[in-house]
Amino acid sequence: MIGYYFRLALASFRRTPGLTALMVLAVAIGIGVCVMTLTIYHAMSGNPIWWKSDQLYAVTLDNWDPNEPSDKERPSLPPDQLTYRDAEMIWSSDIPKHSVIMFRSGGILSGQNEQAGFDPVQVLTRVTTTDFFSMFEVPFAFGNAWAASADRGPEPIMVLSHETNAKLFGGQNSVGRTIRWNDREFRIVGVLAPWQPQPKFYDLNNGSFDEPEEVYIPWKWGETLRVDTYGNSSCWKPDPINSFEEFMRSECVWIQAWVELPDSSARERMQSMLDAYTDNERKAGRFPRPRNNRLTDVGQWLKDQRVVQSDNRVLVGLAFAFLAVCLINTIGLLLAKFLNGAALSGVRRALGASRRDIFTQHMVEVSAIAVGGAVLGLAFGALGLAGIRALYSITAVGAASANAGYRGLAHMDLSSYVTAVVLAIVATLIAGLYPAWRIGRLAPAVYLKNQ
Amino acid sequence: MNIPFRPIVTALLRNRTGALLVAVQIAIALAVLVNAVYIVKQRVDHVGRPTGMDIANMFVVSAAGFAKNFDYPTMLSEDIAYLRNLPGVISASPINSVPLSNGGSSAFTTLKALDPTNRLRVNYFESDAQALDTLGVKLVRGRNFREDEVLPPPKVLFESYNGPIIISKEYAERLFPGGDALGKTVYEPYGAPVTIIGIFDHMIGSWVTDDQPTDIMFLARRPAGPTARYLVRTQPGQRDVVMSKVEAELGARNRSRAINYVRTMEYYKARSYLSDRNMAIYLTTVTTLLLAITSLGIFGLATFNVSTRTKQVGTRRAVGARRLDIITYFLVENWLVTTVGVFVGCIMALGVGQWLSLEYQLPRVDLYYLVGGTLALWFIGLGAAWQPARRASRISPALATRTV
Amino acid sequence: MLEMHNISKIFRADLIETHALRDFSLTVNAGEFVAVTGPSGSGKTTFLNVAGLLEGFDTGKYQLDGSDVSRLSDDERSRLRNEKIGFIFQGFNLIPDLNIYDNVDVPLRYRRMKAHERDERIKSALDLVGLGSRTKHMPSQLSGGQQQRAAIARALAGDPKFLLADEPTGNLDSLMARQVLDLLEQINEMGTTIIMVTHDIELARRAQRNVHVVDGQISDFKSYETRATEGFAAAAAP
Repeated sequence: MIGYYFRLALASFRRTPGLTALMVLAVAIGIGVCVMTLTIYHAMSGNPIWWKSDQLYAVTLDNWDPNEPSDKERPSLPPDQLTYRDAEMIWSSDIPKHSVIMFRSGGILSGQNEQAGFDPVQVLTRVTTTDFFSMFEVPFAFGNAWAASADRGPEPIMVLSHETNAKLFGGQNSVGRTIRWNDREFRIVGVLAPWQPQPKFYDLNNGSFDEPEEVYIPWKWGETLRVDTYGNSSCWKPDPINSFEEFMRSECVWIQAWVELPDSSARERMQSMLDAYTDNERKAGRFPRPRNNRLTDVGQWLKDQRVVQSDNRVLVGLAFAFLAVCLINTIGLLLAKFLNGAALSGVRRALGASRRDIFTQHMVEVSAIAVGGAVLGLAFGALGLAGIRALYSITAVGAASANAGYRGLAHMDLSSYVTAVVLAIVATLIAGLYPAWRIGRLAPAVYLKNQ
Repeated sequence: MNIPFRPIVTALLRNRTGALLVAVQIAIALAVLVNAVYIVKQRVDHVGRPTGMDIANMFVVSAAGFAKNFDYPTMLSEDIAYLRNLPGVISASPINSVPLSNGGSSAFTTLKALDPTNRLRVNYFESDAQALDTLGVKLVRGRNFREDEVLPPPKVLFESYNGPIIISKEYAERLFPGGDALGKTVYEPYGAPVTIIGIFDHMIGSWVTDDQPTDIMFLARRPAGPTARYLVRTQPGQRDVVMSKVEAELGARNRSRAINYVRTMEYYKARSYLSDRNMAIYLTTVTTLLLAITSLGIFGLATFNVSTRTKQVGTRRAVGARRLDIITYFLVENWLVTTVGVFVGCIMALGVGQWLSLEYQLPRVDLYYLVGGTLALWFIGLGAAWQPARRASRISPALATRTV
Repeated sequence: MLEMHNISKIFRADLIETHALRDFSLTVNAGEFVAVTGPSGSGKTTFLNVAGLLEGFDTGKYQLDGSDVSRLSDDERSRLRNEKIGFIFQGFNLIPDLNIYDNVDVPLRYRRMKAHERDERIKSALDLVGLGSRTKHMPSQLSGGQQQRAAIARALAGDPKFLLADEPTGNLDSLMARQVLDLLEQINEMGTTIIMVTHDIELARRAQRNVHVVDGQISDFKSYETRATEGFAAAAAP
């Protein structure tokens, strides 16, 4: 019977090819715009470490100016980074299962590969403790992370990103080789597999969707080599800072700190420890503001740091409004189409078709349009995403754009495809319910008369 | 012309569904149109702000030394000398951060030394006496730095500064509202006094999205290393030629330092405004598509109305309606539906506008946009219904006497 | 008042030519009640369309109420239909979405009359046809006979020079048909010219004069009554 209805649907399409094409097109465009916008929104509001995100916590302490909060727009939040001394205190605590303190910097890589010496190149460098790799489950292609003792040494060892290894060594296993960073020898102990969490939740300071750093070196190198931060550093106290040592001792915040707390008791203990610490420091004159020490899990962190911006929310609203118009349009066109062919349905009813038969017949027609619209809509969505990628590429001499990440976002993954298809078909079917019901309800006699 | 409004309305009310569907589409389309145009205009205005700099003819070089005990100050002076001597170059200066690059340094000044309150935030740049020339910024009062006033690079990132400063007009107004800032002394964060020796016209600083992107202060001090950024300004039309020369030659002049990049200022400007530009493009595209779909709906309804009433049209013509009367009938019917949609749409537009003003912290939509949007949709409705109405007018009056 | 001289109309469809009217001439004087009869396909509907200015014609001359209407523009024909002709259709052709009052109103709107004058005419027309108490009814709420009477009111409201009726009782039962005919006779007695097209001989007999159309041409001018009498007379004569 469905097959029979399908043939009737095809005949009906042939009768009004223009109108049918318009309907499919309207549905497809609506779906395309929706899919495109939702894919990007989904990627942006995504939690790249969702399976673990309620065990990972950003540590923030409010060491800021007693006269004003660090963020005037959100006065209840403490500054989003820590001072050097506070970060090292957290690192020394044994309450968290893992903890990482780190900051972003840069250096010049020079040296040789198999062929020749490669041109010195500046690389973004993350100065970090080793737990970074285990906490954030960073995948390795060759070698592995350094031991905890290397952070204290510090040992002259380094981990390369997948892209850096590809650029310098053609993607081969470079573990064991030496390379010069700011003209000092480091030995490569690990090479990462391709890894680009979107957003870069652990350090949102210089671009939430930027690519991760290109090389990683152990923590104490920052202090030893007096490595300047390339990230944000903010200071409120007017005490002069005339040396790197004074910078490390100051109230300037420039270090990111994350801890892994597997359960609520660990969390409570961590919180108590932080509060006791700041209370103690307050006696020495630090932490002049009311106590505001926070452990923020990844999900809340992304919200607090406002990764998803107003623009994205507006676009999602627009996409849904657009889809609504497309579907209402479809309802109207379907109504017109069905009512125009009412005489034929009247004849069928006279010959014995029940209301349900007529309804089903027309819903099959709607389904055909739904599938057609969904398929075409996916094509439009893919086209739209390609357009977005084009909009976000800037040709520049040499460097990557700050929004390079957007290009990565604008790719549909399997779950998006499935969601899109389901959305398209369900939406169109709903749109078709009313017209199909209307046509089934008509008294056949009305449309049989030659009036 | 005696337009039978009441009969048209009663007839319309008896066939509500189609008309309602179209009215809803029109309402949504108006709400979207009004607000989209508003947002796009905001973005266009935002991007169109004058930068105050000679962007088209400027480029940036970034270089970093990497050897132990690398002689950064020497590299700085040698590179700047080389750049300034290139043919086609007007001026070159080292600078701590690049304007419009979304990265930079900010501090504050106070009217009293070490005042914990009343701190006025400012985006500052450390450069030499040629900085204003290199940027193309106009000094309007006072004087530029002298060569002997320019301090060497500091040893640490946050070294205190005690010397002359040149500030923007806007910052001068903020420090001394209504008064004269020239010659006055203010205090930098560490309490050292700084004297305002010059005031310049207008310039956008490091962050285009800042609330006050034009509050800018120049210090007469070469910026700290180890990474150097050189701004170069060329004669009109010479930029690309000079850039190629620099890319080819500069690296070789000093092998113990790496050239990270050579980029145009246009790159930074485009990058800063990328999301605004894309938002505007996206909004325009989707809104246009939306209006197209809506006119499709109007067209569909009008065609349907005509096709179900051919007998009626024939009868009207038989009893004396002219072609124009028939066109008028259908256009008026269509106009009534559009107007209902527009009315609801205006309310929706205001609601959406309210939500947007909360999202973006921008003032609410101007009523002009509502009026414009209404006219646009009336016009679109008319355009879409025109062809079906004309087709209706061509229905022969002889249709009335046909019995099939 | 209506003079058609040598009218011919040809329908062309691909390679087929149909001569719907050939050399058709007819004169109707003011106050007459004329029935135009003929078998189906004879051209009487075409005659109706041409007489009612619903269609043009190819050759010949047509004078309506003293003026030549042969070469008029569409707008001028519309105006004439509106002011001089009242149509009554077989299928009533009332607008289903409007009530009776608004239906009768339709031609008056195209006359650009003031509301006050329209209202008077509508009410008096509906009273004349006996529907004065049903002005707010929709067509679907009335019987066939009542609908046709409403249509007659519509035709009369504009004070036309003549009524053009196309099979006015074709969709009615015999009782209603008689009522409608009575009404038409009454209107004719009041001075309105009526041209009625029908294939029903009984119906035609009620008119003063019969015109028989066969193959697009008039075949006989005499009324059936006269012919019948003549026939009897001929039969009676030895």
